[in-house]
Amino acid sequence: MDFFTNAVLAVMTAGPLAAMLGSTLLGVLIGALPGLNPVMAIALLLPLTYSMDPLVALAMVAGIYNGSMYGGAIPAILLRIPGTPASIATTFDGFPMADRGEASKALKIACWSSAIGGIASALALMTIGPVLARVTLFFGPAEYFWIAMFGMASVGVMVGSDPVKGVMAAALGLLIGTMGIDSLSGQARFTFGQTWLLGGLDLIVVLVGLYALPPVLQLAEKCDLKGLSASELKLAGVPFAPGEIRRLVPTWLRSSLVGIAVGILPGAGGNIAAFLSYNAAKNASDDPDSFGKGNPQGVAAAECGNNADNAASMIPALTLGIPGNVVAALVLSALMIHGLQPGPQLFHQNPVLVGGFMIEMLLTSVLIFLVGGAAATRVFAQIQRLPGVLLVPAILVLMCVGVYVINGRPVDLWVMLAAGTAGYFLEKLNVPLAPIILGMILGPMAEQSVRRALLLSRGDPLELLTRPISATLAIATLGMILWPLVKAFRRRRG
Amino acid sequence: MALGLLFAVLGLGAAWQAASYSGAGGHYPMVLGLFLTLCGSLVILRAARAPVGAARRLVDAPANMARALAASIAYVGLIVPLGFYTASALLMLCLPLLLGFRRPLYTLVVGASFIVLVWLVFSVVLEKPLPAELWSASRFGGD
Amino acid sequence: MKITKIIVATAMLAGVAMPALADYPERPIELTIPAGAGGGTDTSARKLALLLEEKLGTSIAVLNVGGGGGSVGASQFMQVRPDGYSLFATWNSPLTTVPQVQDVAYGLDSFTPIASTSETAYTLCVHPDFPAATGEEFLAELAANPDKYTYGNDGIGGTMQLAAERIFQARGIKAIAIPFGGAGETLQNFLGKHVDIYGGSISPVLPYVEAKEAKCLLVTSAAAVPALPQAAGLESLGLGDKETLLWRAILGPKGLDQAIVDKLADVIEEAVNDPSYVEFLASKGEVPNVVKGSDLGARLQAEFDALAIVSRNLGLGK
Repeated sequence: MDFFTNAVLAVMTAGPLAAMLGSTLLGVLIGALPGLNPVMAIALLLPLTYSMDPLVALAMVAGIYNGSMYGGAIPAILLRIPGTPASIATTFDGFPMADRGEASKALKIACWSSAIGGIASALALMTIGPVLARVTLFFGPAEYFWIAMFGMASVGVMVGSDPVKGVMAAALGLLIGTMGIDSLSGQARFTFGQTWLLGGLDLIVVLVGLYALPPVLQLAEKCDLKGLSASELKLAGVPFAPGEIRRLVPTWLRSSLVGIAVGILPGAGGNIAAFLSYNAAKNASDDPDSFGKGNPQGVAAAECGNNADNAASMIPALTLGIPGNVVAALVLSALMIHGLQPGPQLFHQNPVLVGGFMIEMLLTSVLIFLVGGAAATRVFAQIQRLPGVLLVPAILVLMCVGVYVINGRPVDLWVMLAAGTAGYFLEKLNVPLAPIILGMILGPMAEQSVRRALLLSRGDPLELLTRPISATLAIATLGMILWPLVKAFRRRRG
Repeated sequence: MALGLLFAVLGLGAAWQAASYSGAGGHYPMVLGLFLTLCGSLVILRAARAPVGAARRLVDAPANMARALAASIAYVGLIVPLGFYTASALLMLCLPLLLGFRRPLYTLVVGASFIVLVWLVFSVVLEKPLPAELWSASRFGGD
Repeated sequence: MKITKIIVATAMLAGVAMPALADYPERPIELTIPAGAGGGTDTSARKLALLLEEKLGTSIAVLNVGGGGGSVGASQFMQVRPDGYSLFATWNSPLTTVPQVQDVAYGLDSFTPIASTSETAYTLCVHPDFPAATGEEFLAELAANPDKYTYGNDGIGGTMQLAAERIFQARGIKAIAIPFGGAGETLQNFLGKHVDIYGGSISPVLPYVEAKEAKCLLVTSAAAVPALPQAAGLESLGLGDKETLLWRAILGPKGLDQAIVDKLADVIEEAVNDPSYVEFLASKGEVPNVVKGSDLGARLQAEFDALAIVSRNLGLGK
């Protein structure tokens, strides 16, 4: 226990505390602006931290990371524009809730869920992290293939009323995911001789276009010249109804577990965690049809899931020296700059720093709970007071600046516009957009891991199924696809 | 109908393109392309068999949607020649007017404060390079 | 690529017309990094940029352009104006390795070499139960069992793979290359025993060498590396001329004024040898290595030619 007492004492000083508060608020802002992402902010911060007290530096990383995961929910709920890829699932139920005047309630649930997911994840990092990290080593290419398949199976919950069109959208996403240099053979696919396409289409660029442009165009169609008055905003604090929290508890537990499990695996990120949590909540529900129509459980599942991914994603980085995502890689390089060697000995080398970072991940999650809700309603929701016609150009400017700064090339702006225009019409034609993004995220993971697995097995496909973990995952995937059918069948008979 | 056709053609095109890629790196996109064609054909088939109902309205307010879309296209086109902030300011002022908002002072105040905010976040705090303004020194080799 | 040529040509004209040096730099410099944030090249460049900002007295804005193993960033960078306000911080792969396998629009002559900054070797490591204890035994075991062993590397046609194959070809070795997304992923699959051999940079695997979970038997530099006493340098195996390193450099676009190149090269040399930077490099298992101007160009050309032969033998060429 000494490990954490010393670390707590070190964190509970003015520097780290102020850094956590400031950076959590900054993180919420970064998450809430579509196109801006935590990686960009943390990468920028990092060189500055070389000469800084490392605990202050890591406090800022923790705050930005946790804050932005929650911040993404704010525009997802208010405008149906996900601030980060991980908040796509939040739009499914968050926006319908806002649409029927429950924006305040949805934001409150998102805030609570994010905080709870983050706290659960940080606790997992502090307690069982080192044990779990070793388990991830059993996951080779064959297992990663099945994880991608498992994620693809969750497409079932987002296809909406028309399964054929949903599957079609997923296939389109997978196809977009193949663009660029094929990392296993080195050949360029679907690049049409354009060098900027060698890296494929950037996920964020497509996401911003696909998800932000249609709501903006619809806002323009509505042509609201007045904006909402203070009383119309309906942002007064809505207390939870009796029993409401109790009903959310199972969802929080489930989503925390899903988020932590996804987080521990290097390479699988918060967006997958949010989709899987959402799917799990829908499958567990007595009334799956209410999902996508403003069910608070949907918001809770998605937001809890994506924050539960955060601290857990640090587990392989801190215990094995294997960064599972870019933020973890940045944290590792911050530790190395302060003379630490990531790997199994890290915990003994500098327990105050490592333990301190874990506690900071915990405290910034608590901070979301304390300041996140107010930031959402007092600042961001106020923009709805502006006339809609003024919001349209403002969001367009934000989209463009966010997309442009990713790679610094104008052509990305055209990709964004094209994706957005396509998204506008696809949505009107009942083609769901989420499967396109899911395909883009999981397609490369599935393709690369299956081909790696086949290289390792010298071309024998049976090895994809015969290893214990891969077989379990394969059965789980099958179950995931069949479960809603079984349930529907039972209900019809019952 | 048109939607199914579009996807079917897209899938076929992708499959045809993928046929020129060697090895496993080519099979996968080819299968995906053919699968997309299959889905597209299914949609066509369904549309053909369904009773012809009233055509759905794709756009609720075509005039406004067209104006907003055209403004977005013009804006993106002007970002590089005019510079990011100049083009953005122009969009902030013109688009509300196009959509029928007749309170220029309000537009000006909101637009200006918003641009300043973006400038503070992206150019001052994040130091991100954006397309240089038409009138700025760096356009002319820095003198 | 005609348009590119026109752009480059106009850019050069503008460069000539520019009033040179006197008070360069007088406005912010944009530094393009052809990799995403958080990687080795990114962190080294950002740290160096901080030191350069101080010494040059101007701010440096970093632009990450990832994708295509660095070729996307390199192609985008070659179109900038050679006025000294756009610089390119890269590792060697996008310049000497990627053009071997990809159809890229740039060549070595699309850039003006300014100065290299640091370098490190790659290493090949095996599990403790592998039947070899020295570099020589390791290569002998591989040669005796063609296509039996799998080795993880940083990506097909990447510098790490070519560095290994350069050695393997010299000894007639056939091993199965499994491309991963980077050293972290390779390490994960090595520790989980999904691949037999770890191939990648030294620093990620170092803690596992100390914990006796990995046995590093070979480094791709001519000399041995002090941190890995068990690993043989190529010189001791009689393969000294097959050295391939991972190194980093800062370049300008084609047609950069020589006076600016000299000034930047001197400032970079100063920054790289700053004690804080040397210490930072050491934490990543790298050492400072400054080669300036045309010497750097010669080094790039030599490496490019050697790797061209390796990739052609592998059947990787375009």
